[in-house]
Amino acid sequence: MTIKKIHTFWEDTAKVWLHEHLEMFRDEGALLFVILLPLAYPLLYSWIYNNEVVREVPVAVVDCSNSATSREFVRHVDASPDVMVAERCTSLEEATRLVGKHKVYGVVYLPTDFDTRLNRMEQAHVSVYCNMGLMLTYKAIFQTCTAVAADMNSGIQIRLSGNKTNREDELTTAPLSITDVPMFNNTSGYGNFILPAVLVLILQQILLLGIGITYGTSYEKNRFLRIRPMLDRRFGLARIMVGRTMGFLVLFMLIAAWVILAVPRLFHFVQLIHFGDFLLFTFPYLLACIFFAITFSFFVRRREDVMLLVVFTSVPFLFLSGISWPKSNVPELWHYVSWLIPSSFGIQGFVKLNTLGATFSDILPEIKGLWMQTVVYGVLASLVTYWQVKGSKQETE
Amino acid sequence: MKRLLLIAQRECRRMAANRMYLLSMLLFPVFVTVFFTSFMHEGQPENMPVGVVDLDNTTTTRKLTRLLDSFQSSEVVAHYPSVEEARQAMQRGDIYGFLYFPKETTAKLLAQRQPHVSYYYSYATLTSGALVFKDLKTVSTLGSAGVAKSVMSAKGYTDDQIMAFLQPIVLDLHTVGNPWVNYNIYLSTMLVPTCLLLLIFLLTAYAMGMELKENTATELVAAAGGNPFIALVGKMLPHIAVWIVVMGAYMVYTFGVLHFPHPGGWGVIVLLTVLSVLAAVGFGVFMFGLLPALRMSMSICSLWGVLSFSMVGTAFPVIAMDTPLQVLANIFPMRHFFLIYETCIFANNPLSDVALNIAALVLFAAAPVFVILRINRAYKEYVYME
Repeated sequence: MTIKKIHTFWEDTAKVWLHEHLEMFRDEGALLFVILLPLAYPLLYSWIYNNEVVREVPVAVVDCSNSATSREFVRHVDASPDVMVAERCTSLEEATRLVGKHKVYGVVYLPTDFDTRLNRMEQAHVSVYCNMGLMLTYKAIFQTCTAVAADMNSGIQIRLSGNKTNREDELTTAPLSITDVPMFNNTSGYGNFILPAVLVLILQQILLLGIGITYGTSYEKNRFLRIRPMLDRRFGLARIMVGRTMGFLVLFMLIAAWVILAVPRLFHFVQLIHFGDFLLFTFPYLLACIFFAITFSFFVRRREDVMLLVVFTSVPFLFLSGISWPKSNVPELWHYVSWLIPSSFGIQGFVKLNTLGATFSDILPEIKGLWMQTVVYGVLASLVTYWQVKGSKQETE
Repeated sequence: MKRLLLIAQRECRRMAANRMYLLSMLLFPVFVTVFFTSFMHEGQPENMPVGVVDLDNTTTTRKLTRLLDSFQSSEVVAHYPSVEEARQAMQRGDIYGFLYFPKETTAKLLAQRQPHVSYYYSYATLTSGALVFKDLKTVSTLGSAGVAKSVMSAKGYTDDQIMAFLQPIVLDLHTVGNPWVNYNIYLSTMLVPTCLLLLIFLLTAYAMGMELKENTATELVAAAGGNPFIALVGKMLPHIAVWIVVMGAYMVYTFGVLHFPHPGGWGVIVLLTVLSVLAAVGFGVFMFGLLPALRMSMSICSLWGVLSFSMVGTAFPVIAMDTPLQVLANIFPMRHFFLIYETCIFANNPLSDVALNIAALVLFAAAPVFVILRINRAYKEYVYME
C-alpha cells in the first residue's frame, strides 16, 4: 500500500516534470531565453571582454620644451604597452580639439622650462590631462606617466649622486625595494573581474525569464488546469512542487555546467573552482533561484510582461552583489535589499570560489544565505503554486 | 490631423488601462535613477578594508601603517601574524589587499641593506583593487622616500633641494571634468539612460505588438483611414511625450538637483533628451517591423538593450574590444547617446564633433520608415497565433 503510494507520488512528479518541460520546449519565446540565451550570451560577453586590458591608448603630446630630456620622456611613454603617442601638437588648445574628436584620450604637456628646471636642479612639472569619460583609459595614461616619471627620476638621481658602484646606485634609487603582487586576477583585467559575476547572474535572469514566460502563458491559457487533479491527492502540493523543481533543476544543472564551468575555460579566464565545490555551490543557488522565480511568476499575468519586469533589473542586481561597487561600501539600505536576491549571495560565493580560490568553508556565510533563501522562497513558491493550480479550476467552473 | 489626435487619445486610453505602462514608464525609471545615484552617492569608495602583516613592528613600520590608515580609500582593519593568514582573509573577502613588512625591515633600512617590502592586492573586484593599489603604492613609496629625506636633511640640504633630488619630475594630474574622480558621475550618467532606453525599446515593441495580440490592429488601421503613417505617428505620440518627460526628469535630477558637471549646457541636454527618445522609439518600432510579432520583437529588444550596457563602452572601452565589435557598437543607440553626452555635455566640445553620432540617432529615429509597409501589412493580415 505504502509502496503503491510512493509509486503514484513519483509517477505524478514525473508527469509534472514532463508537463513543465513540454510547456517550455513548445514555446519559442521561452526556448529562446532558456536554451539559446545561456548558450550564446556567455560566449558573446567573453568575446567582448576577452582583451581584458586597454593597450595603446592614444594620447597627444604637447612638447614645448623640445629638449633631449622631454623627448626621452615622450619616447618612454610611447614605448609603454598601455599608451601610444598618436599626435604631436603645438598647443594645448589644438590637443583639446583632438580629445573632443576622440582621436586621443589624454594629453601630456611638457612646459617650456621642463629641461631648464631639471638642469637647474629644480622640480620640473609634467601635466597630464585625462578624458574622464572613460576610467580605464585614464588609468592607463596616468599609471604609464607615473611609471615613466619614476623611472627617469631614478636615472637623474643616479647621475647626481656620483656613486662608485652599481649597488650604491640601487641603494640611492630604492633604499627600500618594493614589490607589488596582484593576486588572483592574473591579467589584472576587466574580463576576469566582471565575467564570473555576469555568468552567475545570467543563470538567475534566465530562470526568471524562462519560468516567468512559461507560467505567464500557462496562466493566460489556463493550462495549470492539466495538473489540477494531482493537487487533491495526498501530498498533492508536494507532488507538483517536486516535479516542478526537479524539471528546472536538472535542466539548469546542465546549463550551469556550461555557463560557469565550460565558458571560462574556453576563453581562458581565471578558474580555480573544484568540481565538488561547484556542485555544492550550484545546488542551493539554483534551488534559491528556481523558488525565487516561481514566487516572482505570481506577478506575471501576461507572458509579455515578464520581459518588462525582468530585463532592466540585471544591472541593479549586479550592483547589489557588491562586485562592481565594493561590497564594503554598499549603502546599508541596499545591503539589506541585496539579501532578497539569490544572485547577491551567488555572485559573492562564486567569485570567491572561482577567482579568489577560496575553499568551500570560506563561503559558508553565502551558502547559509542561499539555503535560507531556498527555505523562504520555497514556502512562498509553494503558496504561489497552490494558488496557480487551485485558481485554475475556479475559472472553468 | 484630426485622425492623428483621435488615435493618440485612443493610445492614451490603452496606456491608462494597462498597469504595465505605469510601472515601466514611471516606477522603473524612478527606481533606477534613485537606485544608481544613491548606491554610489559616496562618489569614490572610501575606507575600504585592508590588512597589514607587520613582522618588524617598529616605529617606522607602525608610522607607515598609520599613514595607510589615514588615506582616503583605505582603512587598516586587521593585523595578521603571517602572509598565509592575510591571504586567507583576502579569499574570504574580509580585506582587499595588505602590506607586508618582513622581519628586520627597519634595521636593514638604517644599515642600507635594502630591505624588501611587498604589497598584495587583487583585481578580483576592479574598483576596490585599483584604489587600494594606489594607496598601498603611495605608502610604500613614501616609506622609501622618507629614509632618503631624513638622511639628506641630516646632511644639511634644504627641503627644496631634497624634493628636487627625490622627485625631479613631478606629474600634475588633471582629471578633466571630474576632478573628484567621482564614480557616481562616471557611471550613473551611463547606467540610468541605458536602463531608460532599454525600457523604451521594450515598451514600444510591447505597445505595437499588443495591437496584434488583442486583435485591435484592424481597428487602429481603420481609425487612421488606412494610412499607416498616421496610425504609427498617432500611436507613438503619447509614448514620445511621456518618455521625453521621463528622460527630461532624469536629466533635471542629475544635472539640476545633484549638480553633476554639465559644462556643455542645457541646450545640448534638451537636444539629447529629445533625440535619444525619438531614436529609441524608432528602434523599437523598427524591430517590431522586422519581426512583426509581439514576443520576438520584444525578445530582440531585450537582448539588444542588455548588450547595450557593454557595447556602450563606458566601463570597458570600445577601443579595447576586437575590431568587429568596434564596428558593431555603432548599431546600439546607447553608444551614440554616450558619445554625445561625454563630448558635448560632460565636456564642452562643439556639436560638430559628434555630428555623426547625431546623424546616427536621427537615422534610428527615422528607421520605421523602412518597415512601415511591413507593419501595415502585419496589422491588416496577421492573426495572432496561440
